[in-house]
Amino acid sequence: MTAFSALLSHYRRHPWQGIALALLMLMATALWTGIYHLTSQARASLSQSERVVEARYQVQRVDGAALSVEDFVTLRRQGLCLMPWLEVLPEGESRRVIGVDPLAALCFQGQADVVSFDGQPLRGDPFMDIADAAALPARQAQLFLIVDPDTGELSADYRITDFSLAPDTGQLGDSFLLNLDALSVLVLLITGLLLRSVYLLSLSQRRDSFALLHRFGVSPRRVRGHLVAELVGLAALTLMPGILLGQLLANALAGGFASVMEGLFDSRQFVTSGNSWLMPALVMVTLLLLVCAVDWLIPEKLRKAFAVANRSGGLSLLLLVAGGAGVWLAANLLFLFGSVALMLAGAGLLMPWCLSVLSSRLAQASKQPFRRWWWAEFGVLCRRLALPLVALQLSLAMVLAVQALVTTFEATFDHWLGQRLSADYYLEVPTDADGQVAVDWLEQNLPESSGAIWHRVLRGQGQLDVSGHEQSVDIFAVAPVGALVSDWRLIESAGQPWQRLAAGQGVMVNEQLAYRHELAAGDSVQLTLAGQSLRLPVLGVYPDYGRPAGEILLAADQLPDDFSVSFESFSISPGEVDIEVITEALSALWQEPALTLRDNRSIRDLANRVFEQTFMLTRAMTMLTLVLAAVALLLMGWVFLSTRLWYFRLLAVWGTARTGIFLSLLTLALTVSVSAAALALPVGIGLTWVLVQRINPLAFGWSLPLDLYPGFWLELLGLALLIGLCIGLLMRRQLGRPAVRPSVTGTITGGER
Amino acid sequence: MEDNVLKVRGLRKSFGDRDATVPVLADLSFELHSAGSLALMGRSGSGKSTLLNILCGLEQPDAGELTLFGQDHRQIDWQQLRRERIGVVFQEANLMPALSLLDNVRLRASLAGQPESRCQHWLDVLDIGALAQRFPDQVSGGQRQRAALAMVFAMSPSLILADEPTGSLDRVTADDVADSLFRLQAETGCGLILATHDPELASRCEKILDLAHQAADQNTGQSGL
Repeated sequence: MTAFSALLSHYRRHPWQGIALALLMLMATALWTGIYHLTSQARASLSQSERVVEARYQVQRVDGAALSVEDFVTLRRQGLCLMPWLEVLPEGESRRVIGVDPLAALCFQGQADVVSFDGQPLRGDPFMDIADAAALPARQAQLFLIVDPDTGELSADYRITDFSLAPDTGQLGDSFLLNLDALSVLVLLITGLLLRSVYLLSLSQRRDSFALLHRFGVSPRRVRGHLVAELVGLAALTLMPGILLGQLLANALAGGFASVMEGLFDSRQFVTSGNSWLMPALVMVTLLLLVCAVDWLIPEKLRKAFAVANRSGGLSLLLLVAGGAGVWLAANLLFLFGSVALMLAGAGLLMPWCLSVLSSRLAQASKQPFRRWWWAEFGVLCRRLALPLVALQLSLAMVLAVQALVTTFEATFDHWLGQRLSADYYLEVPTDADGQVAVDWLEQNLPESSGAIWHRVLRGQGQLDVSGHEQSVDIFAVAPVGALVSDWRLIESAGQPWQRLAAGQGVMVNEQLAYRHELAAGDSVQLTLAGQSLRLPVLGVYPDYGRPAGEILLAADQLPDDFSVSFESFSISPGEVDIEVITEALSALWQEPALTLRDNRSIRDLANRVFEQTFMLTRAMTMLTLVLAAVALLLMGWVFLSTRLWYFRLLAVWGTARTGIFLSLLTLALTVSVSAAALALPVGIGLTWVLVQRINPLAFGWSLPLDLYPGFWLELLGLALLIGLCIGLLMRRQLGRPAVRPSVTGTITGGER
Repeated sequence: MEDNVLKVRGLRKSFGDRDATVPVLADLSFELHSAGSLALMGRSGSGKSTLLNILCGLEQPDAGELTLFGQDHRQIDWQQLRRERIGVVFQEANLMPALSLLDNVRLRASLAGQPESRCQHWLDVLDIGALAQRFPDQVSGGQRQRAALAMVFAMSPSLILADEPTGSLDRVTADDVADSLFRLQAETGCGLILATHDPELASRCEKILDLAHQAADQNTGQSGL
């Protein structure tokens, strides 16, 4: 029998403790590995997708006319490095394909890559050879010329603008990644707390053994070495299964993310390869060693100073206030995340202190000795289970915040989409068809008395002058400005905005543009449309979720005649008129046998599905973290209360009924878990506010309303009650067994106060 | 107070299952009158703790008669008896660690339905009045045992069951604690049954019951609660 095997013998006597410890490690590893893989896969997929649609520069004709092959030839002869980019929407397809010329792209090599195909064959998913793309029967086709602006001077007929017609969904993807990154850091923190608590519990369980070994001449350094070896051994047993489980978890959830990517990029871009095990293994082993070695790494003087500083809760309050101020004042994301970390650290430190003070005050105030004992015991429980309780508190706060964010986002997005798609149908104007013909027909045949409402939408690009620098901006022109837009919710507005917009007396801007350029209702913008400069007041700011581009809404009458329309459509609620009557008439007028007509309800359903999938992962991961923290508290609570069993049995010796003892235990466990939930509430609300009002505007330019969902608070409270109930029921089983008398050597095991 | 506090006839107790039964107590008979004291002696595993557990209703005998305060053991409300009339002192860990010494005494008194106003008095009587606000881990082992005695006497017991009450103390402290126990037992007139290995301590009791022959060299593995 060596000192090491003597230490290990603890788990032979208490196998469930060893199993609990291993289970916790395995679950923590699986969870973090799952998040790591998902984040890596998502990042790789987004990176690949963004590379192919990366915002670059393009050449446009000054006269607004569409580009042709002749323009390409002319500009190439002028020595410019150009690549043709032909976007085609084939007949009968809902996805675009992009025709490219890899040979023409060769002149970009050695510089920032314009389009990286990563050696992929061009099979139309979405890229194909430009010759093949041009040969497809197309519903729509548009040629772009991507240019390296440093390779030559343009003639006066052309100008260079941002290439932004590609589906620029980078920020939505970034938003998603930011969610996952923040989540994985928080999960790592919670995992660290749980591992640390398991480690401390295994120490406190074996104080007598350490004292004995010390008396037998085994040095504390050697005991520590044995402990580390024991934990590393345990890690070796649990890490690989945990990593495998995490990979399975990530792959199970990846399907949802793949759908999201498909929705965002019109193509399957999800990278599923590269399931590395090394990084999660390294991170978990490092984390494990860190949480075990923190006592030896931080000098005792510093630890004592820290404990003294937090004795009256001062340090935690200081961290909380500093973090709160930082969150309020943060001007960039890094500073903001740092401040959130400070806030969470403060909240985590404050919770055990709060509960300790509360229990001590209530114990002092209790006139009844039994009640005094109960509160004192509650204080002990809170102090001894501080780490798993903080982990549960942070998990609950995180779940609460993410749930509020997601629900708010869904509700807001649904409302917004409802406004945007308020018409029953959406009809695309075919390429080369004249929209004005349809306007004339609709004015004649759909009088107001028929109950029909419609408007024409023209989309294109304009130039916004921001501090002397021109920037491309999306143009969204509507005519007539009527009932289909006038009930949009505006974030801010000047008097009678819709009437003034209809009269051509101003424009409205989306939230992203307003946030980026600090525009407010009443300000003026300098806008250039097809070479014509306009100075117009901002009449209102409207929400525009999920799309990062700046956009300007104006009455279509304000567009110059030579404005290059990139896309044209009609939104129609036909009222008493049959929609087929309308489509047949327009089909005949445009001489286009098959018109693209979409039922807005199905578009709305599709959009909602995409967003549901986007947040499914976040929800799943936060719930899993909560489950981990709950299981940890359950196991730790059970193990710790088992060490107190003698004292509960003492009550039986003193004549207390077993039911009474069980009820005391149950109420203790319930109060502890519910306290964690109650204290998670303010943290969760704070975190929700940070997510919707601080992180989103800083990262993406749009904010969400701060909506709280008390119904979900009750659900979490129910979950906390369930955890407490499980601890109580486990202890009921223990109560029926003989209790081990605590030792009096050194510090009393299980006799902490 | 009844003349005979305790009457035991032919008491038997064994542990184990059908395949391997270990007899611990066999045909044990003895009596204790009120204010009397009895020492239980015997090797480890001879059944001292088991007998004490039976006498306070924490375990049931396999056979035999046990009459306590004139009541047959099968009719006794053991919870009420332990709460109000039987005080138990263990070798150690008699106190709730999260409560001060005074609060421990108050808790025990309140469970027994006794006034809390006398709790400080009992600590004073046992010479630890000045330590009333200390917690168990802030006082010595001897002081903890004195506090345990204060808890027992604060409930005005009719019978005290003490399981090696001085077993973990040094000679001088053990003598002090024993002096206090016997003095207060005599003053209050309650019965005392004391399990001990110490012949000197046992000799201070009126009677000694040697359990060594009952189940010599048998270790039941059962100790404590």
